[in-house]
Amino acid sequence: MRYISFLVVVIILAAALPSSAGYRELFEKEFLSKPWGAEITEESACLECHTSDVMTIELQQIPVDWKASWHYQNNVSCDDCHGGDSGDATMAMSHQRSFIGKPQHADIPDFCGKCHIGILKNYIESGHGKALKATGEGPNCVTCHGSHNIQKVNIDIINAQRCSQCHSYDRAKIIKQALFLTDKKIEKIENDLEMLKKKGVYAHTEVMTLFDTQAKFRSLFHTIDVSVIRDKTYYFTKKLDEIEKNLQETFQQLSFRKKFSTFLMLLFACTWIAVSLISKSRKD
Amino acid sequence: MWQKLKDGIDHRIGLNELIDSKLREYRVPGDTNIFYTVGIVTVVAYMIQAVTGYFLLMYYIPHPDHAFQSIQDIMTVIPYGWFIRMIHIVAANLMVALVFIHLVSIFFMGNYKKPREMTWLAGGVLLLITLAFCLSGYLLPWSQRSYWATTIVTNIPTAFPVIGDFAVTILRGGDSVSGVTLTRFFSLHVGFLPPLFLSIMGLHIFLVWRIGLSVPPSSPSAKEQKPWTGYAKVNYSKSYPFYPDFVLKESSMILLFLTVTFLIMSFLPTLFLPETATTPADPLRTPPDIKPEWYFLAPYQMLKVIPNKFLGICIQLIAIVVFMLWPWIDSGDERNISKRPVLLTLFLLLAVLWIVLTFWGRYS
Repeated sequence: MRYISFLVVVIILAAALPSSAGYRELFEKEFLSKPWGAEITEESACLECHTSDVMTIELQQIPVDWKASWHYQNNVSCDDCHGGDSGDATMAMSHQRSFIGKPQHADIPDFCGKCHIGILKNYIESGHGKALKATGEGPNCVTCHGSHNIQKVNIDIINAQRCSQCHSYDRAKIIKQALFLTDKKIEKIENDLEMLKKKGVYAHTEVMTLFDTQAKFRSLFHTIDVSVIRDKTYYFTKKLDEIEKNLQETFQQLSFRKKFSTFLMLLFACTWIAVSLISKSRKD
Repeated sequence: MWQKLKDGIDHRIGLNELIDSKLREYRVPGDTNIFYTVGIVTVVAYMIQAVTGYFLLMYYIPHPDHAFQSIQDIMTVIPYGWFIRMIHIVAANLMVALVFIHLVSIFFMGNYKKPREMTWLAGGVLLLITLAFCLSGYLLPWSQRSYWATTIVTNIPTAFPVIGDFAVTILRGGDSVSGVTLTRFFSLHVGFLPPLFLSIMGLHIFLVWRIGLSVPPSSPSAKEQKPWTGYAKVNYSKSYPFYPDFVLKESSMILLFLTVTFLIMSFLPTLFLPETATTPADPLRTPPDIKPEWYFLAPYQMLKVIPNKFLGICIQLIAIVVFMLWPWIDSGDERNISKRPVLLTLFLLLAVLWIVLTFWGRYS
């Protein structure tokens, strides 16, 4: 039996060697050239060109900036903003596929506002928006947020260095003060949600409510009107308080879980010691 | 009241005689060690899985649109749902660890040798079914981790020429992991595997019971044993009754297992629940550091290291065949591994290789 088993093993191993050679190349192409899990890979005609040497250094920098951006982290791709067909190199920059390319300075708010609808509305009504409309040269989205390396925003985007490029910081400082507490509350809730996630709790309702509240609150920034911000802050604070209350309850629940499990652990540990001693005494 | 009930049952079915003949008179070798109790602890772990799994089944919805949310509801909305699910997760991992410990101890003590070959074979099949349980159960929460870890594992058969793609399609029910895969894995996990596992476990326990426990090879009474010639009721030179002595020993180990389960639940609740396990599955986004569970890390890393994957899989399949047929390959009489330096060295090398591959797979 031993020899038969050994023979079977040798035959299977020998059969594996020649038959595998022909498939090696195909297998590596299918199985190893991409991450093991990544079946749906990113194939973008935009990236192919913009990473090639045909492009200038400045244009090659675009994919690098985009990959470091908040847009990238949220699956917002080139064609989501610029149109075109990223899956087909010949049609990637076709106007028939709604390709826009680099928008004109005055068109940038509408360009970004395709997705950021609420923000666009508040911006247009603000001093910034009115200035752009009147002169064609006022500040637009890119002035404060940049173009491709767009980062997740917090209140620190309002700072003396940035605002002083065009006007004095005094009014911006008052706006920042009005936003400060609510923004810090959002930051704390975000940290709490992150902590809960690490503890194995996915607070879906709270995540969604925060997302909605945060989006509306951020759009309020763009009014650059202190009285509007002060009026509406109460509404946001109330919403955030509700989320905070739910999160506190979840933290309390986690604390209860720990105590409950620890109690059971101690109960079983004591019983284990007792049973072990009885077992040992019987053996003796 | 209790005595009256006991007497009533005894009067009708002869309970006392049954306990005396099947439990008290059943003897266990005098020098058994704690490793002899690992088998029963594994059985208890399986029973815990079955009971907690049944309760999870009441609220779980095997559909891609609802699976993740139903699990989150179990964790947060259903009273003590978290408790049931956490026990299910922790006990599942401990169960795999116990199966490995059981296997290694049986190997180390040479307890697979004649007349226990069939017991080993049934145990080997139980190990494979346990791993199938883990694999199929892994996808059910429909989280990022479960989705992508299943994608990795179900990709492996593509290494086989001709039948590879077909096998993957059958396994997944399509080209990629989808709702069909979820339904397939769910029915496998709760419908097909449990009765299969129960029947083979029944056979395994019957064989252990019928043949009797082996004397540890290092014990002095092992030398007194005569070579095995045919089935006969075992007579140990030094022994003690199965009930209550051995049952007490087993109970003590079961309680230790429960203590460890609750220890992990109390102080390391996310040990088996990384962040990707609490993120809904997203087929369009591959998490950067997705890995299979710890017990699959060594074979996973081995496949990554061997340049030819087909060869890698063949080696693993051959290793499984050799492992299952080991009692017939190593059929000599000597059970004491300390007197077999070649086998001992081979075993240690394989153990070190497994550990190295596991850590390599985890941190690569």
